Amino acid sequence: MTHLGELLSAFLDGEVTEDERSRVGGHLATCLACWDEFNDLNSARTAVRSLLILDLPPGLIPSQEGVAEVLPLSHRPPVWIAAAAAAILALFIGIATILAPPTTLELRLDQLSDQYGARTSLQPSLTPRTPVPVLDQGAIE
Amino acid sequence: MQENVPLTWEEVARVYGRKIYNFAYRLTGNSDDAADLTQEVLLRVKKGLAGYRPGSFEGWLWRITRNAFLDDVRRRKRRPTVPLPDEVDRVAGHSSPAPDQVLANVRLGEDIQAVLLELPYDFREAVVLCDIVGLSYEEISAVVTAPIGTVRSRIHRGRKMLKERLK
Repeated sequence: MTHLGELLSAFLDGEVTEDERSRVGGHLATCLACWDEFNDLNSARTAVRSLLILDLPPGLIPSQEGVAEVLPLSHRPPVWIAAAAAAILALFIGIATILAPPTTLELRLDQLSDQYGARTSLQPSLTPRTPVPVLDQGAIE
Repeated sequence: MQENVPLTWEEVARVYGRKIYNFAYRLTGNSDDAADLTQEVLLRVKKGLAGYRPGSFEGWLWRITRNAFLDDVRRRKRRPTVPLPDEVDRVAGHSSPAPDQVLANVRLGEDIQAVLLELPYDFREAVVLCDIVGLSYEEISAVVTAPIGTVRSRIHRGRKMLKERLK
């Protein structure tokens, strides 16, 4: 009797022809050695397929916005560009602070009152609610 | 095999990045090497995508992946290392099995991974491409440039070795 050998793995993977499938089925019904080998192969196959599917380490693939994460350093913008941008921004903020007129934090009660009146007119939910009248059940009927 | 070619490199990275990483991890047994290899593959894809001609996209992608791995092995002139027991922190999926079950799975996974790394490279590669990546024998044949009969033999012998060593 010729045993099945490699045909068993192919059978497990669905990589056989119809004729081969019939042959394997018929042989396994009568050959204990091939049946044992079939079970061994099946358990090895299942073991590998049961290995955890690992998540990618963070930052390995590009985000939705760009691809900087996987670009080599030589493809990234030079550091001096970022430094120059930061320096210009700091200079601008400094000048703006010097030239801006002084502001006062004094608040008068009437100003607060005006602000509250304006808000309540725009946001009615801020206005104190009037009590909802309780209806008499007999009056409805 | 999927024939719809992703249009952009970012899509390739998002759709296949995880598969490439898992393929690399199962071949190398090392998360850092797998991450490096995944980046290398994505860079090669980025360079090669413009010249890609319609055909078997996955075949093309896995050939790049395989070549990148073999180039890396040649460059380092060393064998893949023993896997790190760090899979607990990287368990995928949304279900929450019991902690004991997770631990048991991880230990079993480490055993299987360790035995995988003991297999001759050709057998390991064929088993991983079949059972981890999910390619057909024909696709594996195209990726490793070997006849289908050879692929079938490698998968069969690889599984037999795995089973013997896991006993």
